[in-house]
Amino acid sequence: MMTGMQRLTAAINGTLADRIPVFCNLLDQGARELGLPLEEYYRSGELVAEAQLRMRAKYGYDCLWSLFYVGKEAELLGCSRMIYAKDGPPNVGEMIIKKYDDIARLQVPDDIASHPAFAEELKCLRILKAEAGGRYPICAYLTASMTMPSLLMGMEKWLQMLMMGPHDLRDELLAKCSDFFRKQIAAYRAAGADVLVYSNPFGSTDVIPRRFFDELSLPWMERDLGPGGTAGVVYYCGSARFNKVIDAVIRRLGIGVYYLSPMDDIAEGKRLVAGRGLTCGVINDIMLLHWSATEIRAEVKRMIAAGKPGGKFLFGTLVMPYNIPEENIRTMLEAAYEFGRFETP
Amino acid sequence: MLEQVMNQYNEAVMDTDRDQALLVVRDALALGVTPEEVVFNIVVPAIELMMKAISEEQGVTLAQHFMAAQIASEVVDDMVPRFRKAPESVGTVIIGTSQGDFHGLGKRIVSGCLKAMMVEVTDLGLNVAPERFVDEALAHDAQVIAISSMMVHTAQGENGCRRVRQILKERGLERRIRIAVGGAPYRFDPELYRNVGADAWAENGITAGRVITGLIREVRP
Repeated sequence: MMTGMQRLTAAINGTLADRIPVFCNLLDQGARELGLPLEEYYRSGELVAEAQLRMRAKYGYDCLWSLFYVGKEAELLGCSRMIYAKDGPPNVGEMIIKKYDDIARLQVPDDIASHPAFAEELKCLRILKAEAGGRYPICAYLTASMTMPSLLMGMEKWLQMLMMGPHDLRDELLAKCSDFFRKQIAAYRAAGADVLVYSNPFGSTDVIPRRFFDELSLPWMERDLGPGGTAGVVYYCGSARFNKVIDAVIRRLGIGVYYLSPMDDIAEGKRLVAGRGLTCGVINDIMLLHWSATEIRAEVKRMIAAGKPGGKFLFGTLVMPYNIPEENIRTMLEAAYEFGRFETP
Repeated sequence: MLEQVMNQYNEAVMDTDRDQALLVVRDALALGVTPEEVVFNIVVPAIELMMKAISEEQGVTLAQHFMAAQIASEVVDDMVPRFRKAPESVGTVIIGTSQGDFHGLGKRIVSGCLKAMMVEVTDLGLNVAPERFVDEALAHDAQVIAISSMMVHTAQGENGCRRVRQILKERGLERRIRIAVGGAPYRFDPELYRNVGADAWAENGITAGRVITGLIREVRP
């Protein structure tokens, strides 16, 4: 049987595989897997690694995640308070930038790898690498400079600054976030992450007008990714659609994997990528909370039928809420394995 | 002339050009357009036009929603004190994010639109306890409680809309007060609003204005 890495490599190269790669992000579910409250679970890189390895083996999907929760990046920049829920991801509990003067005080850590807030994630990455490196791609999650300020000052204040200025402070903040991104992606690569999910809702024209995308998003993305290159980078705009910018992103940035929104048209996305990279069809996994097995299978079948012909396609999930019944996770994955199978010649 | 001003204002709003929109308003006032006409013949139609553009999937972005609401709110704040007589309030809304939710953008867009539509808005901020939503609705004699949630667990959790519904029921307030919800989870599951006990949901902050004024009309004598 092929490994997840072999399936991913085959999809990238357009060579033969048993089925399409299936990527699944079960994050908070790791706590349930180990019978722990979320706050206790996320305190330990060993626990997160153990749960990720266990869940991958249990469900059979093709990747491993080193991501704890999205707010973790704010901790690296000085946020000391996360607010935990019992059935969902923690929220950033303290905005580091409360007023514009705070931008000048924002410090980008010199060395991410030795930062105390990175220690547990680093432990997790090392365990994943030691246990499954080379067999299953290890995924890391990074927030683009254009989006990072939302975690530092809140989306509301960031959008206000982005649209209305002051532009000198906006650019100062973006430069710091971009410097942080460059260090962070280098740290993840050094620690063994294979897949770097580059999260940027501001890379979608659902969020900002095309003019802002061209004049701000693209140049800042170029700055983020310039020094380290785009190897292993996945373009992802959260739940926002981005089919309209795929061609520009390929031409300007050369990113090789496109993790669509569940609202994007998969066939159109694949047509726009046009063999220049991988296209990932992403399921609206919020519906897994209550869809029947029949509905889940029908949706997975529809998505894979739209994306699989011609290969260079993978199946993925979006937020995977904590309360999705385990049987629905299994139904989705088994349908993806079944409908994603390639016929042997 | 009003039509020309409206077109110029719309163009500035769609371009997310706040300064230009405010300049159009200032020039219009200088030409004799009244503050009442600015609000009711320029600002409100601009919001309605944006609602139409959204419903027709003309590619209106979140940033445009935000700026339309922001500009409308600023213009209304400036114009209303200049009205010849105080405008009649359409109704009162209590708004906030559900308990455990710290995402305030959606409610800010909604509040800006409602203000332009002459709805009085009391913004309770982020992470609002269900009891507080109801207490404040009673204190302000509000017709609608609007709850914004950006995360699945805060949208469907026991301390969000579900609990607000339960409290309204327990206190016999369901005929007097309606609940509207919004936020990403509702867009990905259009039936979720029913499951959490809301009366209506809005797909975005701009159309929330229409949804909420509709709920006000249902209960306002």
